[in-house]
Amino acid sequence: MSLTSDFQLGIFAFFSVVAMASAIFIVRARNVFYSAIALAFLGVSVAILIADISPEAYSIYSAFHLLLYVGATVVFLSISLVMFKGIDVKEGRIPWSGPLSVIATAVIFIVILVTVGNLPSISPKTVDLQSLAVEILQGYWFPAIILVIGLLTTVIEAISLARRE
Amino acid sequence: MKVLVSYFGVTLAVILLGIGIFGLTNSKNVIRILLSSEVILNASILFVFSLSSVLGRTYLPIVFSIFAVGMALTEVVVAFAAIILYFRQKGSLEVD
Repeated sequence: MSLTSDFQLGIFAFFSVVAMASAIFIVRARNVFYSAIALAFLGVSVAILIADISPEAYSIYSAFHLLLYVGATVVFLSISLVMFKGIDVKEGRIPWSGPLSVIATAVIFIVILVTVGNLPSISPKTVDLQSLAVEILQGYWFPAIILVIGLLTTVIEAISLARRE
Repeated sequence: MKVLVSYFGVTLAVILLGIGIFGLTNSKNVIRILLSSEVILNASILFVFSLSSVLGRTYLPIVFSIFAVGMALTEVVVAFAAIILYFRQKGSLEVD
């Protein structure tokens, strides 16, 4: 294993731990405002992990994830939560939720192992911004229009919320 | 090496999914439920990229995830509007 590979694996291990710690904090913190802050750390960790998986192919999406997900969604959540008073969360008393999540995780993991365990490995191609834009505009123009309409709805709703209608 | 990182990514995505399911089923607070669904969204995006890296898919996971994150932003705003209305009517964020 080369030095670059060790470095890549080290970064992946570090941010995997950060992602898991953030996710646990999100579901266990008493104040949901801190959970929203932890969601930002989870978003940053996932963006770095995606870039680490294949830097030449997926780093464009990694930047997009940081800008749109962490920069917009999580900041919106965090700022909106300031509007609420007394948002401490009562401890959950649902006894079957722990075993359910463990069983669901185990089943999904086994299904994935069986399904993709023996697939041949092919490296993804290098992606630049121009080719990605051409791919979206030529191959996926209809979902792009739907997304634009959805984001316009978001703007209208944000104005409506701000005016307390 | 790249395959190793990809399979670690798949494993991490499944672990994050489990944590998200736990948060979704263990809490009665609507904001916590929304945040847990965001954990599941992050897990699914990581899973898509990890698996696509093994399969050699380049554009499909990027386009899919761009649309998914854009729609997630819309969904969060709509869900938050619903939560504010719920809070005004009930005076609490706990679900029955």
